[in-house]
Amino acid sequence: MIVAHELTKRYGDTTAVHTLSFTIAPGTVTGFLGPNGAGKSTTMRMIMGLDRPTSGTVTVNGKPYGQHRAPLREVGALLEASAVHPGRSARSHLRTMAATHNINSSRVNEVIEMTGLAQVATKRVGGFSLGMGQRLGIAAALLGDPRTLILDEPVNGLDPEGVQWVRQLVRALAGEGRTVFLSSHLMSEMSQTADQLLVIGRGRIIAAGPVQQVIDSVAGDTVRVRSPHASDLATALTADGATVTSPEAGTLEISGTTTERVGEVAFRGGLLLHELSTHHASLEQAYMNLTQDAVEYRAHTTPTSTTAKAENR
Amino acid sequence: MSTLTADPPTTARTATPPDTTQSHPNPTFGGTMRGEWIKLVSLRSTWWALTSTAAVITLVALAAAASLNAMAGDTAMAPGTGQMHGAEVIASGFHFGMLTIAVLGALLFTAEYSTGMIRSTFAAVPTRIPVLAAKALILVILTASVTLVSVTLSYVVTMPQLSQHDLVPALDDPGTWRVFGGTLYALTAAALFSLGIGTLLRSTAASITTALTVLLLLPGILSFITLDWVQTIVSYLPLPASSALLTTGAADPQGAYLSTQTSLIVMAAYALVPIVAAAVTLHRRDA
Repeated sequence: MIVAHELTKRYGDTTAVHTLSFTIAPGTVTGFLGPNGAGKSTTMRMIMGLDRPTSGTVTVNGKPYGQHRAPLREVGALLEASAVHPGRSARSHLRTMAATHNINSSRVNEVIEMTGLAQVATKRVGGFSLGMGQRLGIAAALLGDPRTLILDEPVNGLDPEGVQWVRQLVRALAGEGRTVFLSSHLMSEMSQTADQLLVIGRGRIIAAGPVQQVIDSVAGDTVRVRSPHASDLATALTADGATVTSPEAGTLEISGTTTERVGEVAFRGGLLLHELSTHHASLEQAYMNLTQDAVEYRAHTTPTSTTAKAENR
Repeated sequence: MSTLTADPPTTARTATPPDTTQSHPNPTFGGTMRGEWIKLVSLRSTWWALTSTAAVITLVALAAAASLNAMAGDTAMAPGTGQMHGAEVIASGFHFGMLTIAVLGALLFTAEYSTGMIRSTFAAVPTRIPVLAAKALILVILTASVTLVSVTLSYVVTMPQLSQHDLVPALDDPGTWRVFGGTLYALTAAALFSLGIGTLLRSTAASITTALTVLLLLPGILSFITLDWVQTIVSYLPLPASSALLTTGAADPQGAYLSTQTSLIVMAAYALVPIVAAAVTLHRRDA
C-alpha cells in the first residue's frame, strides 16, 4: 500500500512533481505511466525516502519509508539508474544489502536462482548486459521478501523471455496480496500486466483507474470502414454527427458512432462497403491522447506526425 | 543484442511464494557494519589502496635509512644523525601513506555516489547516519591495521641500516611508542578527514583534490609566504600539526611544532569536524 498526499518536489524553479495524491492498493499491479521527465522517477525516489518532498507526504505500508524498522522487508525497489558498484560481483552486492537486515545467505542464493543469475553471480557487475543488470536489480528488490515492490522500467533491456518472466512474476506477487507499482514505456506490456494505471504528465496526474476504464475515457471504440466511395461516405457520416478521419485512401476511422449507424448511413446513400468493423482503442493510443500535451521531450525529426512517439528511448 | 547471448539460461523463472517459515531478522548496527565490511573487501580498489599504503611507507623508510650512510659520511651533517631517533626514520614514510589512505577514505562515499550504489545503501539504511558511522569505524580499523603492518615492515627492513648507526629504536623506549602512536593517530585522523570531505562533497575528484590539498600540499604552497600570520595558519595544517606527534621531541627546529596536547586536539578536529558536518547534512540532502 502506497499513499501519497499532495506530494510535491521542486528543484529551483522547476516543479518536477506537483501535488500528487494517489493510493496504490495491495493485491494489484499498478502501472505508472508518463513521458520522460514527467516525474515518475522522482516520485519513486520520494517513496523510497531517497529524495525529500518539498511538501506533502508519502507513506508505504502505513509509514514513511525511513520510519520502518526493516525497510527492505517492507519495500523492494528497482530504481531507474543502476544502483550497483560495477567493481563488485552480483553476489557481493546482494550480500552487502542482505547484511544490513541480517538476511541469511540462503535467501541471497534464492533470489539469485529466481532471477536466473546463478551462472554469473560471482562475475563483476561492470561486465553485465543491461538485461542482467535489470535481473540483479530485481533480485535486490526481492531480497527482503517485501510486501510492496516498486519497479522502475523492470523490463528495460530484457529479452522476450525475460519480459514474460517479469510479467508472470509481478502478477504472481500481486496475486499473493502484495502491492506492485511499476513503470514502463512499453504500452502493450503494461496493458497485459497492470490492473490499475496512474498516468502523469509534467508532474501532475492526468488519469488514474482500472486499465480499461482509463482507455475508454480517452479513446473509445472507433468504427473502421473501407469503401470505394470513402469521400461520399465521409460527408454523409459527418452530416450524421460523427467524427471522421481518413488514415489512408479508401479507409475511414469514425468515432462517436456505431457500426449499425454507419451501415445504415451507407445503405441510405447507396454506398458500397468493403469492410465495417469496430476497433478497440489500445493502451498506446489512449496514452498518446492523454499525454500529447504533456510531452516535454519530443522528437521533431520524424517524417510523419503519427509516429512521433512520446518516448524517445 | 548482447542480452540474447549473455543472459544465462534460467532454471527458475516462476515466482516462488513468500517463505513464511523464514525467520524475520531485523536490521542492526552490526548488520550495517558487516554490510560495509563486505562492500570494502569485495572491491579490488580497497586492496590496492591498502597494499600501496604499506608498500610506500616501507619503501620511504628504507630509503631514509639508506640515506643515513650519506649523512654520516658528510661531516657537516654528521652531528645530525646523533640527535635522530630511529623511530623517526621508521615513520618517515608516513606522509606518503597519508596520500593513499586519504584516497581510500574519500572513496568510501564518493564511489557510492558516482556509481549509484548510494541508492541501494540508503534504501537499506534510510536513517543514513549508521552508514557513516559504520564506514568511519571500519576505516579506523583498516587504517590502524595497515599502519601496524607498515610500521612493523619498516622496522624490520630498516634494522640493518639503523643498527650500523646504533639507531634501532628500543621497544622499551617511550619515545619509540610516541612516534609510532603519533603515526597511527595522524593517519587515522587523515583518513577520517577524507571520509568527511568525501561525504560532504560527494564528487570523487573534488573530494580527493580537497583532501590532499589540505593534508599534504598547502604547507608547501604557503611556505613561500613569510607573513607571520600565514605561518601561524600553516602550523595548524594537518601535516605540520602532526609533526609534534612524530618526533621524540629531541630535535624541535626553532620550537616550530605545536605542543603535543595541541597537536592531538588539532588532529582530532580535522578528523571529526567534516564528519559531524557530513552527518548533519547527510540526512537532509537528496541521494
